Amino acid sequence: MSGTAWWSMTDRGTHCGSCRLIPAEAESRVLARLRSTIARETLKSMLSVARLRLALVVLLSAVFWGALYGLFVEGFLFLESIHAELISLLFNAFFSSLMIMLLFSTAILLYGNMYCSPEARLLLTLPVRAEAIFSHKFHEAMWFSSWGFILLGSPMLVAYGVVRGSPWTYYLLLLPFMVSFVVIPATLGGICCMSAVAWLGRLRVHALAILVAVVCVGAAWLGWSLIGSVAVVGGTSEWFETVLSRLSITEQKFLPSWWLSSGLIEAARDSKRPEARLAALSEAVKFLAVLVSNGMLLHLLARWLARSCYRQGYSQLVGEVPARRQRQISWVDQALSAAGTARGRPLRLLLVKDLRLFRRDISQWSQFVIFFGLLGLYFFNLRSFNYNMAYASMISFLNLAVAGLILSTFTTRFVYPMISLEGRRFWILGLLPVHRDQIVWSKFLFSFFGGLLPCCALLYLSDSMLGISRSLIWVHEICCVVLCMGLSGIAVGLGARMPDLRESSPAKIAAGFGGTLCLVLSSLFIMSVVVIAAIPTHLAMASRAFGGGGPPPTGLLGWASGPQGTATSLLVVGFLGVIAAFLPLELGLRAFRRLEP
Amino acid sequence: MIEFDHVTRTYGPKPAVTDLSLSIPRGELFALLGPNGAGKTTTIKMLVGLLRPSRGAVRICGHDLAKEARSAHLHTGYVPDEPTLYDKLTGREFLWFIADMFGMPRHIATQKIDREIDHFELAEFADDLAESYSLGMKQRLVFAAALLHDPDVLVLDEPMVGLDPRSVRIVKDLLKTRTREGMTVFMSTHTLAMAEEMADRVGIMVRGQLRFLGTIAELRDHMAVETTNLENLYLELTTAKPGSP
Repeated sequence: MSGTAWWSMTDRGTHCGSCRLIPAEAESRVLARLRSTIARETLKSMLSVARLRLALVVLLSAVFWGALYGLFVEGFLFLESIHAELISLLFNAFFSSLMIMLLFSTAILLYGNMYCSPEARLLLTLPVRAEAIFSHKFHEAMWFSSWGFILLGSPMLVAYGVVRGSPWTYYLLLLPFMVSFVVIPATLGGICCMSAVAWLGRLRVHALAILVAVVCVGAAWLGWSLIGSVAVVGGTSEWFETVLSRLSITEQKFLPSWWLSSGLIEAARDSKRPEARLAALSEAVKFLAVLVSNGMLLHLLARWLARSCYRQGYSQLVGEVPARRQRQISWVDQALSAAGTARGRPLRLLLVKDLRLFRRDISQWSQFVIFFGLLGLYFFNLRSFNYNMAYASMISFLNLAVAGLILSTFTTRFVYPMISLEGRRFWILGLLPVHRDQIVWSKFLFSFFGGLLPCCALLYLSDSMLGISRSLIWVHEICCVVLCMGLSGIAVGLGARMPDLRESSPAKIAAGFGGTLCLVLSSLFIMSVVVIAAIPTHLAMASRAFGGGGPPPTGLLGWASGPQGTATSLLVVGFLGVIAAFLPLELGLRAFRRLEP
Repeated sequence: MIEFDHVTRTYGPKPAVTDLSLSIPRGELFALLGPNGAGKTTTIKMLVGLLRPSRGAVRICGHDLAKEARSAHLHTGYVPDEPTLYDKLTGREFLWFIADMFGMPRHIATQKIDREIDHFELAEFADDLAESYSLGMKQRLVFAAALLHDPDVLVLDEPMVGLDPRSVRIVKDLLKTRTREGMTVFMSTHTLAMAEEMADRVGIMVRGQLRFLGTIAELRDHMAVETTNLENLYLELTTAKPGSP
């Protein structure tokens, strides 16, 4: 066959008719153009169909940025006044932990983008270099994993510059410093990801689990020892020495986090003498050069690795057959199916189905476990600090709000899209002898009971750690039930009122107008419940604080800060919960009855 | 044009394709048939470079897919069973992306994009974002992209899924024309009527092995049955125990 080949033998492999293999730079340009076109179109469509969401994101980001900036300014002023050298240590601790997080998040994102996405499959069937595909997907992953750093890190670094009275060159160097730093852990994440897929095969999951466990144990040890030292010696010089010695583990000269913090500290240094200022600036530029050159070297290494093993790794991964596992019917499912009357059986079966889907969808329960687990860890550590009662009461209500906000992200992300996703399977449910109302009610009950247990348990843990009175614990638990009811009602009701039957991705459904509205209403509801429930307690605290040990307040203030006030606030909270749950549910039920899939 | 040289691919210990040797010359339309799990998708994935053979080699226009993937891809167009597009690109932008990736000069790319938009009747929606397309529209666009660079080899995985009868006719006519001009087509399908109508030769895979290779007439001879219906022949062959004719 090759003897009679009609394609030109001199160009063999680089030309085919009017086509040719393009140089690496041209490939990068085409892929960069692709990314910019997609970004532009995404922004355009957000501006046209998701203005509310975009406006909220911008507004909340600005508020968040401003609040963080204020907090960091205060923090740096405080540190400057006591132990200025602590700033360098804090920078090192912050950037080194960030480095680990960026490494993991980029590795996980790249795994999804390079090995599991339809786009990777498309690109691998085109005449594109493997390393160009890596770079293309790397840019996406790096941006997605590091935008949080930009949002969190920029107010901190700007605040530092302002407190230190840094020269303008510091602000000019901030972005290059941040970008060049982010490239290093992100590239390392890419290298780890490709190596694990190519050489560890099925063992990669175990290796990752061990690595994550080691990092978690290390972080927990460091955190525990720091908190322990706080509890023991308070804010004395001995405490500072303990903290300094504990944090010094992150101050290693071979770590990019050290190059970054040293570079930033040098860049922020201001001096009256021009030669000292120039020396500091040249030191900062030297550290920036170290970061840039290491980032570039690592990126070259990653591209070389992609060239040698990306296609091979992809082939290996595609060739893996998922192990077939026989699924047993769990006792929970059995008990739920069997319990109750025959009339309620369809509702219970729908609940069992949703419970099963939740258990088997790792993306749902893993996020649930991570967020509530972290919250539990934080609550568990509350005992390490000493509080007065007013402070403890305030923190307890803030914790109630935090638990509610975390629950609202779950109801928006997972419960709100449930009806839309059910709509796509409507041909199954439509043919079953199930009333449509039961579908909506099953989602509500699933969400309500699913959120109730962890939230109530966590709040009890928080209150126990804070040493809150029994009566206030009851107030919080009642609020928690109301929050679960209201948030479930809002999510299910809006989900049924505004279903998106064409979309199959729950994330995209949640990101639409309805999802955003759900999140906003949920946040407003949480704030209202927490503020109304907190008023009597704080009036009581305030009257005690300003009363100076005199007689308890009388009149309206006395009534509001007493048991009657608490009972009234709980009644209002309960009323609010009923409205938040049943008004959206009623609207949703009406719409869902009329729905034509 | 296409050459499978003693290709074996295993998934763990389980063989998906066993010792496949197959050569498809220029201008032939080859249809690969077989029941679910026979190894057709694995074969297609090896042919487009997504999977590497455990043993043996797959070559397109003389280029080994494992060693010279890019050169082989330069000669290949691929229509997967599920069309993959960028939601936030218009049909025309997607075609330009493909043209750029294949290094086409601008003036030629412009001509060819217009030609494919015309062939597949995409003009009405070519400037809309792909996220608004129906499955059939997406499939037509993917066909247009696969044929844009006039490949020597076209690989089709269940190509008619989602296409309306008119689009099916367009595709069939186009395949006939292009094969006459020298393009080789490798098609995996469950639609026996399509294979019977279009294919120069068919291959029937059963449990990872090529149980039959030849023309429909040869299949009838091979099976030694008095039927003219490909469906019966196919069922006869794919349900027969290994070793029987």
